[in-house]
Amino acid sequence: MIWRSRLGWMLGCSFLAVAASGCSDAFNAGDLVYIEAPAMTQDLGPTQGNLKDKPRLREKVRAAMKELYGPDPQTIRVPKGMPLSNGGALLASHIEGGKDPGPHPILQVSATPGSAPAPQAGGYAIYRRNCLHCHGVSGAGDGPTAPFMYPTPRDFRPGKFKFTSTPSGRPPHRDDLRRTITYGLDGTSMPAFEPLLTPAEIEEVVDYVMFLSMRGQTELALIDEAATFEEGDAGEALDEETVQSLADSVFKMWRKSQSARLNPKVARTEPTRASILRGRDLFLASDCKDCHGRLAAGDGDSFIDQETFNKIVFGGNPSERARRAEELISRDSKKLWKDDWGNPLRPANLNKPMYKGGRRPIDLYWRIAKGINGAQMPGHYPSPFDDEKTWDIVNFVLALPYEPTLLTDAPQNAPAGTAVADARGR
Amino acid sequence: MRKWSILFAMAAISTVGCFVYSYFDPDWWLPNTARDMHRVVSTFGREIDNLFLIILFVTGGVFIITQVVLVAAMYRFPDRRDEQGRPVRKAVYSHGSQLLELIWTVIPAGILVFIALYQMGTWASIKYRGSAPRVPPLAEITARQFQWVMRYPGPDRKLNTADDLVVIDDLHFVKKQSVLIYLKSADVLHSFYLPQLRIKQDAVPGLTIPVWFDCDEAGEYELVCAELCGWGHYKMRGNVTVHETEKDLRRWIDEKLAEQGRSQLAMIPGSGSEGGDRDD
Repeated sequence: MIWRSRLGWMLGCSFLAVAASGCSDAFNAGDLVYIEAPAMTQDLGPTQGNLKDKPRLREKVRAAMKELYGPDPQTIRVPKGMPLSNGGALLASHIEGGKDPGPHPILQVSATPGSAPAPQAGGYAIYRRNCLHCHGVSGAGDGPTAPFMYPTPRDFRPGKFKFTSTPSGRPPHRDDLRRTITYGLDGTSMPAFEPLLTPAEIEEVVDYVMFLSMRGQTELALIDEAATFEEGDAGEALDEETVQSLADSVFKMWRKSQSARLNPKVARTEPTRASILRGRDLFLASDCKDCHGRLAAGDGDSFIDQETFNKIVFGGNPSERARRAEELISRDSKKLWKDDWGNPLRPANLNKPMYKGGRRPIDLYWRIAKGINGAQMPGHYPSPFDDEKTWDIVNFVLALPYEPTLLTDAPQNAPAGTAVADARGR
Repeated sequence: MRKWSILFAMAAISTVGCFVYSYFDPDWWLPNTARDMHRVVSTFGREIDNLFLIILFVTGGVFIITQVVLVAAMYRFPDRRDEQGRPVRKAVYSHGSQLLELIWTVIPAGILVFIALYQMGTWASIKYRGSAPRVPPLAEITARQFQWVMRYPGPDRKLNTADDLVVIDDLHFVKKQSVLIYLKSADVLHSFYLPQLRIKQDAVPGLTIPVWFDCDEAGEYELVCAELCGWGHYKMRGNVTVHETEKDLRRWIDEKLAEQGRSQLAMIPGSGSEGGDRDD
């Protein structure tokens, strides 16, 4: 009897101990901090300035970032002139400071609960709940689930987004981010949030993503600027005016993007037989087939072959991708296999009706006309494709998955003009 | 030591109390419409609830009987000792009772056989492919991590053609009509679950599974994934809209098709997506 009760005590205590440790916050211990841009401490090559051996300049950049955007993710500051809705009021539930800039032109938004309860959760809170596990605290695409993703979650910090409606290389329009969050990205791990968030909540998240993105871009700009100084001249580097003007130039780019969407001058050509065949001939006659392949299966010669690609991407520990790539791709090979973020990518297989950036004709127009930011897809408008030619290719791309014979039966090196004859034949 | 019988009686009473209370609280009761928590909106829902309640009453009745016997036995025969600490009553040693064992085997077996036979019609009408309604499919729904891709036939009324409407997480159909969908999975096991309509069907990679259902009442319902499918399982929800008339459904499909065919920014006025002139 005594033995039994002792066993009971032991079991009970160990159960409680396990339960208590499971309930603890140990996993999330420590303060939330922004991840710094790698250029802060590493030499990333000649295109990007770095502060590898410049600790004093590093401190200057850190101080400037703190001053501009707040010390940590839980205390958000919105610099004056940041193009966000209501001056950043959607970022968090509790706002300290207020809208009046005062002598120190910073609006402080605190994500930690204050005295006044707020009716809305705010972009920061929604981001933490729904986005952080992939995109990470700083929007660096480094959340805990990110290593399991292919394609990899977006790193917002360089301010580059793939599926946009603004001219190539420019920050996205608000509606591009809104569409991505609302409908997700087909064929990737980005889900649609339409059934999970209200439209108002999606606006809040859009604001927070823009905040993280502009913050990251400012950080890169500050590092670039600081890198032009010698460590000894750190005292003169990054005065208040320079910092503000660098941040302003980032805001200006974003603000400009909000009114610079590319709108096709002419509406889509009717997807007639002739138009589809013209699109096919353009596809075969231009550089499209170099990447997408002659059968548009995403296996063109400009890219490394699928087998090597699979070996690099899926052939072992994801963190050792770079090493595998080095082993498998010869140094002088000019073949493509990754995007600007260093993530592996392949050209789309156009035989499958899966369109990451959206399936509307206008989405495909944007992909062809202005390319995909950061990826290997270049812009084709206005040269070599004008509006009509772009629409012909759009019509061809939309028709191809339901008519694979379009390419398999295409004459080799189709000379221009056969399309019309073909159309008459049908 | 009669206090133990009271503890056990309290546990039994509160359990039964929870079930009684659940009938009056929409959060505790089965998922139904917001207006009337006891109104089941689908044909299969009524059949399934019928089965559910029969089983609930049978098991509830058995639960009450066994708990009454248990508590009565504890109350009637408490642990009693004399001044020297010896038990007052002598224990009875028994080899069991064949009659009792026969009773408590035959009755549950009978109940199980009854349930097995009684539910066959419901199962057949919901799952047997022969009972599928002879209607053109409303949509083909492909589950993937972590969303429902819904493909509605376009103007040619045929699935898997270039004019199909493809939307994410948005199921629309007309009330009081049998709806047939084809369920697929693009990656792992998912489960298509319409709680208010009591429809649940696993989506299995490599299979195309027909699912059919109906709904009496127009309104908004929900679609969830009921099979743990990965880290984003909780995100895998959908909106279900039941329209009053076929016309309403066609209007929705036409609207979505127009958006899907958009080739210029300002094609549809008032779509609210032109945020360019937003006040920054």
